[in-house]
Amino acid sequence: MGRSWLRDYIIKRLIYSVIIAWCILTITFILVRVGPSSPADKYLANIAARGGDPAQVTAAVEARYGLDKPIYAQYFSYMGNLFRGNWGWSFSTSMPVIELIKTHWIYSFQLILLSSLFAAFIGMLIGIYSAVKQYTKTDYAFTFLSFIGISIPNFWLGIMLILVFSVKLGLFKTYYDTTLPLFSLDNLKALVLPVITLGTGMLAGYVRYTRSAMLDNLRKAFVTTARAKGLPERTVIGKHVFRNALLPLVTIIMFDLGSIVFGGAYLTEIIFGIPGLGQISFNAIFANDYPVVVAVTLIGTFMVLLVNLATDISYTYLDPRIRYG
Amino acid sequence: MRKFGIFLALTLVLITLTAGCAKGTTVRSDFIDGQSGGDAETLNWILAADASSFSYAGHTVDSLATYDNQFNIQLRCLAKDIEVSPDALVYTVTIRDDLKWSNGSSVTAEDYVYTLKNLMFSDWLNYPYKSDWQEEVDGKTVFVTPQAVNDTTFTIIRQTVYPEFVYNIYNLIPYPKYIAVNYEGNVEAFTQAPEFNNLTYTGNLGPYRFREWSRNDRFVVERNPDYYLGKDVGAPYFGQYIVKLFSTSATRQAALEAGDISESGIEPAEVNRLRSMPNIKVYTIPTTGYTLLAYNQRANGWEGLKDKTVRQALSMAISKQTISQAILLGFAEPAYSFIPATSQWHMDEGVAKYGVVPLYDKQKAAELLYREGYGIKEDNGAIKVTDKGGNPLHLILAVNTGSKPAEDMAFSIRKDLLALGIETEIKLVPWATLLRQYVMNSVPDSKQEAAYNNGPDAISQEPWDLILMGFSTNLLAPSGSRVFFTTQGGLNFFGYSNTEVDELFNRARSKEALDKNARQQIYAELSRVLSEEQPVDFLVFHRVNVGFQKNVMGIEPGINMGYNYYLWYFEPVK
Repeated sequence: MGRSWLRDYIIKRLIYSVIIAWCILTITFILVRVGPSSPADKYLANIAARGGDPAQVTAAVEARYGLDKPIYAQYFSYMGNLFRGNWGWSFSTSMPVIELIKTHWIYSFQLILLSSLFAAFIGMLIGIYSAVKQYTKTDYAFTFLSFIGISIPNFWLGIMLILVFSVKLGLFKTYYDTTLPLFSLDNLKALVLPVITLGTGMLAGYVRYTRSAMLDNLRKAFVTTARAKGLPERTVIGKHVFRNALLPLVTIIMFDLGSIVFGGAYLTEIIFGIPGLGQISFNAIFANDYPVVVAVTLIGTFMVLLVNLATDISYTYLDPRIRYG
Repeated sequence: MRKFGIFLALTLVLITLTAGCAKGTTVRSDFIDGQSGGDAETLNWILAADASSFSYAGHTVDSLATYDNQFNIQLRCLAKDIEVSPDALVYTVTIRDDLKWSNGSSVTAEDYVYTLKNLMFSDWLNYPYKSDWQEEVDGKTVFVTPQAVNDTTFTIIRQTVYPEFVYNIYNLIPYPKYIAVNYEGNVEAFTQAPEFNNLTYTGNLGPYRFREWSRNDRFVVERNPDYYLGKDVGAPYFGQYIVKLFSTSATRQAALEAGDISESGIEPAEVNRLRSMPNIKVYTIPTTGYTLLAYNQRANGWEGLKDKTVRQALSMAISKQTISQAILLGFAEPAYSFIPATSQWHMDEGVAKYGVVPLYDKQKAAELLYREGYGIKEDNGAIKVTDKGGNPLHLILAVNTGSKPAEDMAFSIRKDLLALGIETEIKLVPWATLLRQYVMNSVPDSKQEAAYNNGPDAISQEPWDLILMGFSTNLLAPSGSRVFFTTQGGLNFFGYSNTEVDELFNRARSKEALDKNARQQIYAELSRVLSEEQPVDFLVFHRVNVGFQKNVMGIEPGINMGYNYYLWYFEPVK
């Protein structure tokens, strides 16, 4: 009963999420369908090679997928199907959209999850160490390395890792092998380079944020009190300082998680040939395959909204003083 | 002693097995073909408009025939070459009698006729390449008439002569009538039919059978032990043929270098380095692709481009050597018409070779432009190219983003034109924008839908003068290029019109061209006229580099290198 306000808050947020998702879905649909391109654009080279009639090919392709109908008719037809649980047929991959997503989400998910864990765990450990050992040589070294980590572009780092560890040293395969069993050491090994590629920038960021948040708290009176009470330094840092520093960190980690789902992970997927949702949606945009684009955007939207909700809820546990009206 | 005996026996077995691999017949490793051209759209190939879909399906179903590197026809599903009646109106096709669908039933002539009549020619399915099977009769567009004669023979009857029509027939692949009838008339059901999307019907028709397609990742086919061409020789020799997709050429080449894949295209800058590697062999092969610079002869292009002499002058100022040698590192050769030297229809005689010495001459180019009224003479006698009013000339060159060589070519062209005093503004635009705003056109203030050629009065949304673009030629049937160069051509977006060229393309598709010598002369004349007219500046024909692991054997490098790929094998480990 004591936390009934939280249940009401969650229900309210979920209702808002549905409305926001519907708005984003509609905007995405309109942007994809009124954009200056047609699925037939990419056939031009093949049409030219065959000496075909471009107008005939374009008309045939558009008619087959109902793209010759007015935009509003396409929109209502799509929304009607979506409402009935039919996500449509992906005409650029020739399979039901739901099947496509079911097959490929796991590749993005495992990459994002492992990268986030890797970055958060190591980043926070280094950040804590740097803060506690402020202005030592190790702190300077970590600071220097974290700036490099933040500055390195993903695509460059990924290619360099492949050239060194796969081509020169032969330690890893040059591309991600989708035939490996999901829960196997081989799969984990195949993900080492992609995780480092995607996680390095985040890790470096977490080092900086953790260090800064820790230093803020280290200067506060409750830390002096804790030390004066004779608490061991490990308890002061771990239980008091770090717990207070976690609040802004959780916001940043959750925000990162939301933003890399289909943005940051895409480049890593490209470099290592991981057929995740980032790559699927990117190709769908170029193919004008709106059922896929809209579906992936919808999933992305819900994920971001849910992550935000989870962040808000986690605040109430990290800081029991927080209440939502 | 007993252990030694077992060891000896095992050694003997091993030696015997290794010896048996001399021709690769027992080697069953997987061949991994690294590609970056984008994934296929469907395995239900009759719906496809992209090349990858045909390529994927082609691993499991052969067409009627293909051709080798010297353009000799290689029979596939054909029992003998197609017979053409003396009037070139009746084509008699005889297929092999040992072709089987997956349910064990024979592939018959009726399957081919059904595929044409009930699927390709139907209104409900919207086959994208209907025009391959259509002809103009008394001003009407009609389909040719296919007809089954018996189980293995069918005819296709035309009402008009088209000497190159036979090549459309060679490419024909059948659908199984016994399955397709279940979906007839329902495009949604046909599109989603599991038999067609999983290629479960292909029987013994191709060297491989479908196994798996992971979108944007890999397409896997496995050895077909029943393949009609492989029965006697045990081919194919790869256990699986895997098309592995890469999004970047850098990672694809790294995979080849590391030995993770068997084949990959190589970027020009990487060729020498990969050639020096002991585990890789690189073949340089010609292609049918060429890059050209289109001159806008429509109303929203610079008026000078309608003048043949002006076009000649501009082409004379643009160095093809720079493009082929400095930008494409020698993996291209200057182009002068749409027919490359690799084609049997190529003739060099009388072709004006603009862009190479002696027709690469900036001074002469400036003089030609001056003579046409586009220039002023400065005090030192030097000519500065201007518009007719004596004002500086400013041209717009549009090129799509994402291709480094294309961008480099654009900058090379700008530099060449600047030497004449012409300022060129390069507009780098995405492909969709290039097509919609620059290439497609419509008549102003009309309700016309934009298309690639909406007649002589149509103009593009954005003004332009030059567009850099890639085209390609069908080497066996070059008359298909009429889509670019005839007045009514569906891809003649630059508005070129010349009755002589229109007539020559018509002649290439007429009775007269049944005589191969006559057709050769027509193509020679077309090359000559187009090289003289310069509707576009034909810049270069491209060559590509393909790298293989050194142990891949049986490859015959050439323009159609894959024609015998079912006979490729891995050299046995010694």
